[in-house]
Amino acid sequence: MKTGARLVVAALAFALLPLAVKSDFTLTILVFSFLLGMLAVSFNLIFGYTGQLSMFHAAAFGISAYATHLAMVHLAVSFWIGMLVAAALVLVLSVIVGAICFRFRLKEFYFAVVTLAFSEMARLLVLNWNSVTNGTLGIILQDKPTIWMPGVGLVKLEGTLMWYYVSLAALVLTVIVCWRLVNSWMGRSFSAIRLNDELGDTLGINVFRYKLAAFAVGNIIAAIAGGLYSFYLGSIEPGFLSIDQSLAIVAMVLLGGRGAVAAPIIGALVLTALPHMIHLGAEMRSIVYGAILILTILLMPQGIYGTVAALAGRRRHVV
Amino acid sequence: MLFEVSGLTKRFGGLTAVADVSFAIDKGEIVGVFGPNGSGKTTLLSLIAGMLAPSSGTITWKGAEIQGAKPHDIAAAGVVKTFQNPQLFAELTVFEHLMIAGHLMLKRRLGWKRVATLFNPDTGHAGADLERRAGEVLRLCRLDAARGQTAAELSYGEEKMLGVAMALMCGPELLLLDEPASGLGQGEIENLEAVLRDLRSHGTTLCIIDHKVGFLGKLADRAISLHHGAKIAEGTPEQVLRDPGVIAAYLGHQHA
Repeated sequence: MKTGARLVVAALAFALLPLAVKSDFTLTILVFSFLLGMLAVSFNLIFGYTGQLSMFHAAAFGISAYATHLAMVHLAVSFWIGMLVAAALVLVLSVIVGAICFRFRLKEFYFAVVTLAFSEMARLLVLNWNSVTNGTLGIILQDKPTIWMPGVGLVKLEGTLMWYYVSLAALVLTVIVCWRLVNSWMGRSFSAIRLNDELGDTLGINVFRYKLAAFAVGNIIAAIAGGLYSFYLGSIEPGFLSIDQSLAIVAMVLLGGRGAVAAPIIGALVLTALPHMIHLGAEMRSIVYGAILILTILLMPQGIYGTVAALAGRRRHVV
Repeated sequence: MLFEVSGLTKRFGGLTAVADVSFAIDKGEIVGVFGPNGSGKTTLLSLIAGMLAPSSGTITWKGAEIQGAKPHDIAAAGVVKTFQNPQLFAELTVFEHLMIAGHLMLKRRLGWKRVATLFNPDTGHAGADLERRAGEVLRLCRLDAARGQTAAELSYGEEKMLGVAMALMCGPELLLLDEPASGLGQGEIENLEAVLRDLRSHGTTLCIIDHKVGFLGKLADRAISLHHGAKIAEGTPEQVLRDPGVIAAYLGHQHA
């Protein structure tokens, strides 16, 4: 449980950080990093552990952002119930998309392209269904979720500090869920499938079922991240579902590392903070961003975590 | 009869890889299937294990027809196949490989209760049994010493033995071995023979395919020879090796 102990220390350090760091700017970047970190960690469950390069992750994230809002408006429910409705919708979509891809044993490039096609269908629907989604303009979210605080009762979730703790809690929960999964018998099945489908078959593993399970769990976490992210940002726009967003998630995982549950968070932190730390024009920023990604793949194929762990002489923990 | 193949045929377009093959395996037997490269041995094994669906014919396992069933269902029913080149994780230890291969054992023990173990890491007796079984399999396969080594640190012979060990974790009643001796040195082949004999004495039925006649000749109770996808001889290894058709298939007609 050494890795577990390190994670607890990291979580406590982040929990205490606002005592030392009062900068609203820094905390805001951390909130975004935590929410995008949920996306990266859940994506890694599908990509790093089960070996499926899904391009549906941004779609799950974006669809849920819209669906949470629409459920609140049309079903007159609270943010949290709306988010559950959105997560349920994403679960249904994941099962449909996953069942089609995995039944036909689409792998690697083909799986990526087909999930991208589903993703684009969702984005174009959002973009063109003006009466519901307000098209390219997106939606401004006025409501704030409420949370129950001991001793105070229901309060509006506003201000950077409250969001900091809510997003940190959501990220910690994400890590715990993914950690438990990959260290269970189910995670061992994911590993077998990652090596190849035929190995899974010969070991009596229902490859279809466990690919679908990883895909669905990953997407549901992405859906929850989408609900939180949009309400923190205060707006939703079709770019949430774009291929850029999908690639940003892939970049976070490659940069952070695939070999450990929490490693992609490092990538989310770096790639979220970097644009704010390097004061460059938008064009130069993309070039720097791209260069970092290329150098990572060439020089640190195991990502930051994998490289540091290798330097520290620690074996990659995969099962 | 434990296992029976009848009229099994597999066509790929115009090519008939397996042509009307019939044979049976009794409990506790070691059956060798051999033939030159391209004779349809690997296709036959893939058909039995459910990786491919036959064009026609039946495969009967304990009285039930299993042709066309899903490969994981066939493995769960007790028919388990190894790979010619073992599928291993370079960075994982031998023991961790066996834990991955323990999927079916845990499933048989816990059924849907496994879902509960996702929330509570304590798999109790089932987890302890899994580890005990892994210890037994390691001893049986002479891999005790390599228990904590990663696959990257193993010799090729040990890698192939780990492939067998992973299959054994599935609790096979019929173990299908795809060229287990290919690429092994003489000492490793003798070790493999000893392991396979031990397995049989523990009640596992074996069906081994290989193009090396020598290895199978010593080990198998019964031999079947394939050529161009068709069965050309069946009998004791000595009978099959003396069969003019088999000699012709291997060495050309002038030697027959």
